[in-house]
Amino acid sequence: MKSIQFLSVMVLALLISCGAIAQNLTGREIIQKVKDRPDGDTRYSEMSMKLINKRGSSRDRKVVSNSMDLGKDKKTIMFFLYPGDVKGTGFLTWDYDEIGKDDDKWLYLPAMKKTRRISGASAKKDYFMGTDFTYDDMGSRNVDEDTHKLLREETMEGHKCWVVESTSKDKRDIYSKKISWIHQDCLIALKVEYYDKLAKLHRELKLSNIKKVDGFWVAHQLHMTNVQTNHQTILTIENPKYNIDINESLFTVAKLEQGSL
Amino acid sequence: MRKIAFLLVLPFYAVAQGDEIEYTFNGFADTYHAVRSQSPYDFMSSRSRLRTEFGATKGKSYLFASVNSVYNGILEEETRIELREVFFKYSGSNWDFKAGRQIIIWGVADGLRITDVVSPMDMTEFLARDYDDIRIPVDAFRVKYLKSNLSAEFVFVPVPSFFIIPDAPDNPWSVFPQSSDPHFEVNMENTPLKKISNSEFGGRFSFFLSGIDFSFSALHTWNKMPVFQRSYSTNNDTVFVEAQHNRMDMVGMDFSFPIRQFVVRGEVAEYFGELQTTTSGNNKVKRNTSNFLLGVDWYPGNDWTLTFQYSHKLIPDYIDKIETKENTVLATSGITKKVFQNTLSLSTFTYFDVTNQSFFNRTSADYSLTDEIHMMAGYDWFEGDEGMFGLYKNNSEYWVKAKFSF
Repeated sequence: MKSIQFLSVMVLALLISCGAIAQNLTGREIIQKVKDRPDGDTRYSEMSMKLINKRGSSRDRKVVSNSMDLGKDKKTIMFFLYPGDVKGTGFLTWDYDEIGKDDDKWLYLPAMKKTRRISGASAKKDYFMGTDFTYDDMGSRNVDEDTHKLLREETMEGHKCWVVESTSKDKRDIYSKKISWIHQDCLIALKVEYYDKLAKLHRELKLSNIKKVDGFWVAHQLHMTNVQTNHQTILTIENPKYNIDINESLFTVAKLEQGSL
Repeated sequence: MRKIAFLLVLPFYAVAQGDEIEYTFNGFADTYHAVRSQSPYDFMSSRSRLRTEFGATKGKSYLFASVNSVYNGILEEETRIELREVFFKYSGSNWDFKAGRQIIIWGVADGLRITDVVSPMDMTEFLARDYDDIRIPVDAFRVKYLKSNLSAEFVFVPVPSFFIIPDAPDNPWSVFPQSSDPHFEVNMENTPLKKISNSEFGGRFSFFLSGIDFSFSALHTWNKMPVFQRSYSTNNDTVFVEAQHNRMDMVGMDFSFPIRQFVVRGEVAEYFGELQTTTSGNNKVKRNTSNFLLGVDWYPGNDWTLTFQYSHKLIPDYIDKIETKENTVLATSGITKKVFQNTLSLSTFTYFDVTNQSFFNRTSADYSLTDEIHMMAGYDWFEGDEGMFGLYKNNSEYWVKAKFSF
């Protein structure tokens, strides 16, 4: 009798979960779910970036960062640890979710002992310190800055994925559209293709080594390849921590000028 | 200087007993050589340097020292080992205290000084060095109170430092004519006595808000750039020049705010009792001068940065014997473009002396050979007949530099 009850519960659970997956989610709803994926209110990580050119020679960057969610907005402070000539260089970003409101950004240059405000509007479209990631790729983006369309569902690397096409509404963006393969269980994109203004494939991002840390899903490796120049950047997230005990006073220019976290 | 280092090391170990000490050691070695671009095509500069930086953190205490070991092939007196910065810092929950030799930078201007009057400048090679190398550290106590988006900073400089102006005859950047007729006898040692009544003090309140930053600053200071008083020998074959400094006060403000792809920056300051150079007479002439600067940075994307600054100085109650003009205008423009995944940075920066119709332009290329090695080359171009850039009209030069960071 117990086994029949157990089987009934299992069948019911399976039906409920299948029903949830089979909901007719729109592309926007999927992207919103990805954006709302739990990742703590505060976080710390160390990032190593390997920049590899088409001849195979490489350069390294290492940064350490803290970030904090404040409602839909996010504050991030980041310092370079390597190479030596930029060690201590810091970025402070107040990233606003509101469409049309530019981020506040400051850059601290330790050699100059000086902090300068930089444009939050244009920096988003630039590449981050010579990598293949733009500042926009590394920050957060309002879901409604793109138009989303669910193209299909397909399996990638054994995982069921939604394939969503996101077309930028802002002509100044460096991509015209991107197509994301989103892992349905952990709500992380396994692959993203970025297309240029001529609709040609420009960059390809692959995320791997996805594990749970402090109860949150994290892709530990992000591999971005510019298929047009054959330049690539492998970004490895090391020692991530979530819901750490930090407060908003860490995300100030005064802290930035201290040159380290 | 050993005494200062000892006095700073002592509190470092005393304040933070029981914590593990974390040490950092880094720095760079660089070599810079410049050749005049016109006859006699001589070396204008040839120097190599090892910069070592040492840091130790113990709990909330931090000790930092940077040492320059310099070999200068042109100016023998510049070959030396110097303790550039050495300070002790203690950080509380919402304040920090810093004591020792340190560089203090105020304001938002690039390469121009309006409210940035704490750390003076070493003009030994005029502006033909990196701007951060030109700044002179000051022996100071600094307390910063930090709260949310406000910082309040108080500075006390017991013994002020002053501009270093090149006057040696063998220095191609000497501000005095190198001809023997007339002969110049220069006295630069006439700086104020090292006593507490000659100290500097002041503060700066800064606000960093969403969409705008602004600061208010005030400093009881000196005209750190000397004013030169000239007198002549009886037969007029010798000019006696004496550097003079005088008390002055600065009250100012600065701001910066972004507008889409642009950032607008500005500074305003009143210098109370600023000493003026005069064409004749020994009586000191002081004026309250008004100084302002407006700058725009443009970030159009694709790793382009364009900057422009306009600065203006007005001397009210003007009299003809003041050597500086009643209104003086300096402007700067800069363009930087990074290419090849930021491995090559091309830049050009120009100071325009609008009043005297002269300029100084530095155009350079900086290539990152590896993560540690940078190779740089450039051209310094002086043009005009009058003013500070006109003075160096024969000093245009090609230069190369290599830098290894560790």
